[in-house]
Amino acid sequence: MRTTRRVFLRSAATLAAGGLAAPGVLRSAFAQGAGSTTRIGMVLPVTGPGADAGRFALNGARLALDAVNKAGGVLGKPLEIVTEDDQTTNPGAVLAFSKLASQPDLVGFLGSIRSTQNHAMAPDILKTGKPVCFGGTDPVLTQLGNPWLFRFRPNDSFSARVIAEFGVNSLKKKKWALIHSTDAFGTSGAKALAEALGKAGATVALDQGYTNQSQDFTPVVLAIRQSGAEVIGSYFTFENDLGIFARQLRQLGVTAPWVGSPSIVNVTALKLAGPSLFGTYGVADYAEDSSPAAKAFGKAYRDATKIAPDNQSSWTYDAVTVLAMAINKAGRTDPQAIREALLAVRGHEGAEGTYNFDKNGDGLHGYNVVRNEKGGIVFDKRIDFYQG
Amino acid sequence: MDLILQLLFTGIGIGAVYALVALGFVLIFRATNVVNFAQGEFSMVAAFLMVVFAVDLEWPYWLSFLLAIGGMALLGALFNLGVYYPLRHRTYLPVIISTIGASIFLANTTLALYGPQPQVLPPVFETQGFLIGPVFLDTQYLLIIAVTAVLVAFQYWFFEHTLIGKKLQATSQDKEMAALLGIPVAGMIMLTFVYSAVLGGIAGILVAPVLFVSIQMGATIALKAFAATIIGGFGDVTGAIIGGLALGIIETFGAAYVSVPYKDAFAFIVLVVFLALRPQGIFGERIAEKA
Amino acid sequence: MTGSPRPLPASAPAAGAPTPAAPRRLPVGSLLYALAAAGTVALAATTPFSGYAFNILMQAATYAIAVIGLTVVLGLCGQINLAQAGFFGIGAYAVGLGTVDWGLSFWLCLPVGLVLALVLGAGLGASTLRLGGHYLAMVTISFQQILTLVLINWIPVTHGPDGVPRIQRPTLFADSQSYLALCVFVLAVVGYLVWHLPRTRLGRAMRAVRDNELAAGVTGIDIYRTKVAAFALGALLAGLGGALFAGSFTYISPDQFSFAESIVFLTMALLGGVGSPVGAVIGTGLLILIPEWLRFLKEIPGLYLAIYGLAVILIVVFMPEGIWGFLGDQVRRLRPRRPAPARAQDLVLTQEAASPAPVLEVEALSKHFGGLKAVDEVSFTVARGGIHALIGPNGSGKTTTLNVLSGLYTPTGGRVRLDGRDITRLAPHQRAASGLGRTFQNIRLFRSMSALENVVIGAERPGNPLVGHQRAALEARARAALAFVGLEARADEPVSAFSYGHQRLIEIARALAGNPVLLLLDEPAAGLNSSEKVALTGLLRRMAAKGLTILIIDHDMTLVSDVASHITVLNFGRRIADGVTATVLREPAVIEAYLGQEAAEGPAVGLKSDLAPA
Repeated sequence: MRTTRRVFLRSAATLAAGGLAAPGVLRSAFAQGAGSTTRIGMVLPVTGPGADAGRFALNGARLALDAVNKAGGVLGKPLEIVTEDDQTTNPGAVLAFSKLASQPDLVGFLGSIRSTQNHAMAPDILKTGKPVCFGGTDPVLTQLGNPWLFRFRPNDSFSARVIAEFGVNSLKKKKWALIHSTDAFGTSGAKALAEALGKAGATVALDQGYTNQSQDFTPVVLAIRQSGAEVIGSYFTFENDLGIFARQLRQLGVTAPWVGSPSIVNVTALKLAGPSLFGTYGVADYAEDSSPAAKAFGKAYRDATKIAPDNQSSWTYDAVTVLAMAINKAGRTDPQAIREALLAVRGHEGAEGTYNFDKNGDGLHGYNVVRNEKGGIVFDKRIDFYQG
Repeated sequence: MDLILQLLFTGIGIGAVYALVALGFVLIFRATNVVNFAQGEFSMVAAFLMVVFAVDLEWPYWLSFLLAIGGMALLGALFNLGVYYPLRHRTYLPVIISTIGASIFLANTTLALYGPQPQVLPPVFETQGFLIGPVFLDTQYLLIIAVTAVLVAFQYWFFEHTLIGKKLQATSQDKEMAALLGIPVAGMIMLTFVYSAVLGGIAGILVAPVLFVSIQMGATIALKAFAATIIGGFGDVTGAIIGGLALGIIETFGAAYVSVPYKDAFAFIVLVVFLALRPQGIFGERIAEKA
Repeated sequence: MTGSPRPLPASAPAAGAPTPAAPRRLPVGSLLYALAAAGTVALAATTPFSGYAFNILMQAATYAIAVIGLTVVLGLCGQINLAQAGFFGIGAYAVGLGTVDWGLSFWLCLPVGLVLALVLGAGLGASTLRLGGHYLAMVTISFQQILTLVLINWIPVTHGPDGVPRIQRPTLFADSQSYLALCVFVLAVVGYLVWHLPRTRLGRAMRAVRDNELAAGVTGIDIYRTKVAAFALGALLAGLGGALFAGSFTYISPDQFSFAESIVFLTMALLGGVGSPVGAVIGTGLLILIPEWLRFLKEIPGLYLAIYGLAVILIVVFMPEGIWGFLGDQVRRLRPRRPAPARAQDLVLTQEAASPAPVLEVEALSKHFGGLKAVDEVSFTVARGGIHALIGPNGSGKTTTLNVLSGLYTPTGGRVRLDGRDITRLAPHQRAASGLGRTFQNIRLFRSMSALENVVIGAERPGNPLVGHQRAALEARARAALAFVGLEARADEPVSAFSYGHQRLIEIARALAGNPVLLLLDEPAAGLNSSEKVALTGLLRRMAAKGLTILIIDHDMTLVSDVASHITVLNFGRRIADGVTATVLREPAVIEAYLGQEAAEGPAVGLKSDLAPA
């Protein structure tokens, strides 16, 4: 016991000493690297429950990075992405961003796909004063008066309007059941959907929230059955919740059509829920068949990663592409110049859709409606609300 | 009425899962007086082993199952040697903390090895379930209930009617006395950990087709199972079963008639109320920690 | 850097830190500490850090305050709390919601948060601390989970998962630089107070409860209240840390206060060393910095946390006292011995003037365990002054009687009066307060303390008329008690350094220091060799000579017949004889009960415990 203890302590001490030395090494490596590349920072989850999404996001960004560098880089130098783990938590995101922001040579950033993390980072973003491209869909984010936030996905007010319009006008269903996660994304989405339905003259028979990582949805499904709803609208955050709900919905004999938020058509959800999702509709910011640009991204992504593309990778792909384009157009790395170049982007055909930035920093204004055809995602139509 | 029956079935199904995991808790607690906070991770690891064997390698289900269970037995043994055994002479506190460390370790090692995506483990039976009258009976939940019943019966027989079971019982009641009687105490504790890991593993493999296979799958179930253990009375097998079933039913009806978002709180509220009113649990006789 | 340990007060580590009784030393340690703390605060207030460094440092400082809270609950009092992040969150939300939604001043929200954390902590503690152990672990987890659910789902009040943005800092500390200085200042003050806690009456009580609950109870410590106090104090510090944390990040959301964070707090405390605030600061600093050093591990998801989990196990197994505990051991080994203090005073034991009224009256006392009548309607009285022996063969119910008398068991029936006062229903510490002292057959000392500290706790017995709460007076009395049993020269040594026989003497000194009305001795001769027994006989005589009343249980008939003036004999839980020693030992019933028993007995059996589980 004595000796093992001593050996352990000695090795712990060595490890600690090595750890102390390591940051110095890393920093000097940074110093050499700086100057020869144009660098942007990226906050993404590498650990925690969002690690999955983080990997897809990085794939998309890398794909764009390769394309940009093949086309000559940014301001004559290769583009480089510096990543920082946000641990899928809000303080993690704040720390990750402030760490990136403290490196003065980073000219722009990719923020998070999670709205709460962007909320958390917003004060630091304002202080840093450099453009941040993000994917969170809470409409409020671009209405904070923070001039440095640029959204590369359509916000939830559009997803709700598209779900409502499609359900009411195309499916001709008036009596709705809304199922949503009680997190920020789910609550704000369901609220927007209820409003949009009200405007379209439809009624909400059931509005039911659930806490993420529920193991059972029987009570929810029974409530839907009892409410007599003709159509289901949903905002699910995690795919395993969606999968359990979908299976129990079908088992308990609910056959009403179902139009869901983007998670209903993502790769993991399709794999988990399988046949239970056949015949459902989803709004998708990314649909492979929606445009030639989307097709091209899809092909490149499949070639590079051997998996099907989805919105978690398409927005980072667009963000890196557009950011590089804006810096090149600005001709310098001055944040204000890049900001103006971003705001001036019109009619850029990205994987997610056509980018037209409005004065708030919203790049996209519509969604695709897709159908789950026996496990394959089929593009139905695009509904866009952008008015030049 | 059909609504209530449907909820009841679901509640019993989920309760059976809690009960199954609770059995593992009770065994280790009886043998070592320690709560194993990594019990949920046993379930998670077993489910991932099944995914590797049955889905990725496409080996037959029965073979995969045997291999996964074998793997769990090994894990139980290693767990005992690495996490419990060095601390056996210390108080319960370091042991609790060490099992918490083990739970973080197991969850994240799995994450590092297998990645974060949730996985699918196909169910044992092709048929999803039967419709009896207006009530849908999910085959996987029926299987879970059946297996739980069988394992409880087995456990009863094992402890009451076999020599090794009696030795285990003697060990859990008084280690010093057991040692004086020539029972290999260390071996008995090892056996307990192995069996308990296997139990947790079976629970994990059974729920995997219903809840999917994810890194977090064990943690929530284990916490509820732990609550069930306390409600049932620590160290009592019957209590754990009743506690588990009760929790499952309370949760399901609570979600249906009180609040869906607060579903997870019911287990803990019931627990706190129980501890305040009847701290010895449903079946437990004594509350004091063994001296 | 706030995470780094400051120079320590010279007044020595928590455990085993004696101070000469008189005269009062200059508080050199405190002065040094104040200087070092002022320096650190000044450094925090002037060094131009980057925004990232500010965030990290403010996080470290505020977390450290909560982790120090954990060292109070876990380290000092030995109670687990897996909801520290919950209490942290209560403080944070008080400040967040207060400044944002209610437009209140930071300085108003802070105390509100503290009071909320304190009240909830005390409430949670009060409802479950009687249970202890695993139940406490589970209840704190439950509280943590329910709180998280409420924070997420009670959207109108808490903003739900969106969290609370744009939290106001106090006007004077609006920029990060001065706010960091504020956090470090509060940390320094909290560190100082908690550093001194172990040497206060409350701190000593907490350590006693942690070391040995039974012994703590019979020396007059209210175990339950001490635990609740520790728990509430821990929660209060978590609330304080949380309130400052809300101001530092200016944004809070429920996931920052989840169960996982509670585990992080716990690991910080364990890593640094749960016994001291210095350990808490070291642990917090390391766990906030280590992720930075090990950043390269984060390339593979899970690898970092896997190593973290493994580290937790290794720390618990190999460094049970944490980093600071380990370092502290080395420091202590190097420190020179203190010079022996001045000669101890003579031990004073005040007793009422001899009166015919008996000290102890036991009436028809019964204790049944299920069907077993361990004590069956036993009555006897103990007259004031002198030694009364309670004897009987093994299993005759002597120790059970003693445990009922000192309140460890509640009697099934009967009545006990001490000095005319009915104490039948009193808790052990209340009996101690009315003048009952006792020792245990298998010695129960507070293992982490020095001999002197053990005896000081005895001297602190509530109701002891001889000393107040003055440290000097308490220590003087403790030294006098140690001198009485002949151990004053070794007063400052940890109890583990003493032989078995000497530990027994320390236990007796602990009881004597409390100046008991009646002293219960449970087989004091068990395990002693013959020369030690002779010394014990002498000691008992000297105690009796001071007018103390003693009720002794023992097997050793030589000892009993030597010292006792009066004997009560039990067999099978019943009284079979009672009277003057010489007469009783000649009674046929007594001889019959003992014949054969004596021969079979041999040396005391180690296996037998004085408190078998019921």
